Amino acid sequence: MTRDFVVVGLSHRTAPVEVRERLAVAPDRLEEELRSLAAHGRFDEALLISTCNRVELYATSTNPIEAAQSAREALATRLADGAADQVLYQERGIDVVRHVFRVASSLDSLVVGEPQILGQVKEAFDAAKGAGMMGTLLGRCFTQAFAAAKRVRSETGIAEGTVSVSSIACELARKIFGNLEGRRTLLLGAGEMGESAARSLRQTGAQLHVINRSDERAHVLAEACGGQPVPFERLSVELADADVVIASTASPKFILTPELMKGVVRSRRHRPLFIIDIAVPRDVDPRVGNMDNVFVYDVDDLQQVAEENLAVRAREAAQAERIIEEEVESFLRWRRSLELAPTIVALRKRFGQIADEELQRALSRLEAVTPSDRVVLEAMGRSMVNKLLHQPMTQLKAGAGEPDGALLIDAVRRLFAIPEESSASEEPSEETSDEKRVRPLTAAATPSTGEPK
Amino acid sequence: MKAGLFIATAVLYAVACILYLLLLIRGSDRARSVPGLVFVAALGAHLAFLLLEAPPPGEFPLADISQILSLSSFGIGIAFLMASYRFDVTVLGAFITPLSLMLFLASGLGSSYAPVSPNVQSAILSLHIGANVVGLVAFALAFVAGFAYVLQEHLLRRRQLSGVFQRLPSLDVLDTIGLRAVLAGFPLLTFGMITGTFWLLRSKGSELYVSQALGLVAWAIFAGVIVLRVAAGWQGRKAAIGTMLGFVLTLLVLAGYALRAAAGGSP
Repeated sequence: MTRDFVVVGLSHRTAPVEVRERLAVAPDRLEEELRSLAAHGRFDEALLISTCNRVELYATSTNPIEAAQSAREALATRLADGAADQVLYQERGIDVVRHVFRVASSLDSLVVGEPQILGQVKEAFDAAKGAGMMGTLLGRCFTQAFAAAKRVRSETGIAEGTVSVSSIACELARKIFGNLEGRRTLLLGAGEMGESAARSLRQTGAQLHVINRSDERAHVLAEACGGQPVPFERLSVELADADVVIASTASPKFILTPELMKGVVRSRRHRPLFIIDIAVPRDVDPRVGNMDNVFVYDVDDLQQVAEENLAVRAREAAQAERIIEEEVESFLRWRRSLELAPTIVALRKRFGQIADEELQRALSRLEAVTPSDRVVLEAMGRSMVNKLLHQPMTQLKAGAGEPDGALLIDAVRRLFAIPEESSASEEPSEETSDEKRVRPLTAAATPSTGEPK
Repeated sequence: MKAGLFIATAVLYAVACILYLLLLIRGSDRARSVPGLVFVAALGAHLAFLLLEAPPPGEFPLADISQILSLSSFGIGIAFLMASYRFDVTVLGAFITPLSLMLFLASGLGSSYAPVSPNVQSAILSLHIGANVVGLVAFALAFVAGFAYVLQEHLLRRRQLSGVFQRLPSLDVLDTIGLRAVLAGFPLLTFGMITGTFWLLRSKGSELYVSQALGLVAWAIFAGVIVLRVAAGWQGRKAAIGTMLGFVLTLLVLAGYALRAAAGGSP
């Protein structure tokens, strides 16, 4: 039975931050988490993406319906009762590939074109490899997703301009403080997006202090962003001195609580404080946002700004979608080419052709060849082809069912220079009809991930 | 001639007001300077009107409430032009121009105001009124900055970040304008209070208890705002609301005088 893709997950499109943070997994726990998820599900390959805006479990399986069901159950157990139906979406078949390409290319991001997502997808890819859950199919899908993202970035203007969570944060800071020159920014935690926002603020001339539970990490980060490391014990003092705080820790609990902030606000003597909470789960208790002269923005708030910028980027995004469709097509060609039957047919055909050509050449050189001689020679040619192909064919048929079977087929096609298109155009593969059967199980609260096929 | 100039000035103020509001609400990069030009034209017409209205030599200026209102309106416009030159706050014209227009129109009801009777006119009275007018202008600017601050902060908290939010200046700039304007206006208001009291004592006191009490409350509010801002580091919304309240009371004092004058009393 053919293996197929499934994805189950939630994102900023379907779930608010309160729900997303229940599923979020810290980057260093991705591998372990994936192992435990995979232990319960029937997946051949699996990969878990967890960013502040999405948690998605990708898998391939020979029984995609069952795989989707078990992936869904695995994620649903962590959500509140009944929440799963509203927030989880799932796709199967080629829609999954299209979705991966769009996610990696930042077309499905909160801020379209933001560069962090690609790094996060790569991290997920490495974690899946580390967990031993990455095989040919998912591997090819994601490596091609990286290539597609690169194309989108270089061939469209989607990443240009000032549209990113970082620059939105800078813009808001400017609306509060005017000139940011000499203002104090405090980076709390070591999340990638937080680091990027801190860098942007640093570039506007703001001073940067970096605080982290790990002094070592604080030093490394401070050096990378041109800031100054500060020991974690000084948190409340730093909060009192800061103008902008970027909270981006992996802490499961609130760090900036109303109790802590009450003292801070008092010692700040009413100076405004802008807190950008990029962390998921959130670092800042929402009640802090009600305090006088304290402005708290979380990732969802930044979404609003992002949406406005979406309109501006619509034209570039349309071009990017075309690239995605091209890449999806190319992926489909590759998959079809991996079908065993067309490969065997093409291989036999190729060998048969060579035998025929050589036979004709030999016959033209020989004189007085009787019809019976000719029959003998033809039989010899066929027999040689069969014997030469016997072992490779046996191995190929046996190996095709293995997890890396596609790789084997791919190797054979390359060794004997069998073009991808040959099998696809000559023989409609099972894959094509299989893809047609696949539909998302749920209409889901999410818009379609791409153009209709 | 005078009536024509009055109407022309009022119309120009009104047009500038509409254009500034459109600039604030819809925004336009190309037509950014148009409302400003119309506003400057309105100020030009207003200046011509003030010159026509100027008292003959030998008389104390600023002796009638109509002149006070008209000059306050003009002063607010000039102060706004100066502020927008320094801070790039063109869009605040949307709040300044209605204020200018309102005071100017109020001054036009001046025909019904009784002029200050010559026997109470004195140099002290002119100083008192002059200081208060300039103080009022400064507070008007502080009021507008405070109003914009409260609006901008509201939009920031409500996450309504497009449109008006984008076009209004930063909270810091609005807070700075508010602080500086109050700091400039307060000594003038204080001076006005002192000279006013002197004049009242000397002229053996018309009974102006309500206006005086309101004036005193406004003064106390501004004093409180300044003390809290400078000593306790007050910033932001509360300071802005305090400033706005102080200005509204100052306006009420002025309205009290105008009503008394209209009723035939003296300031």
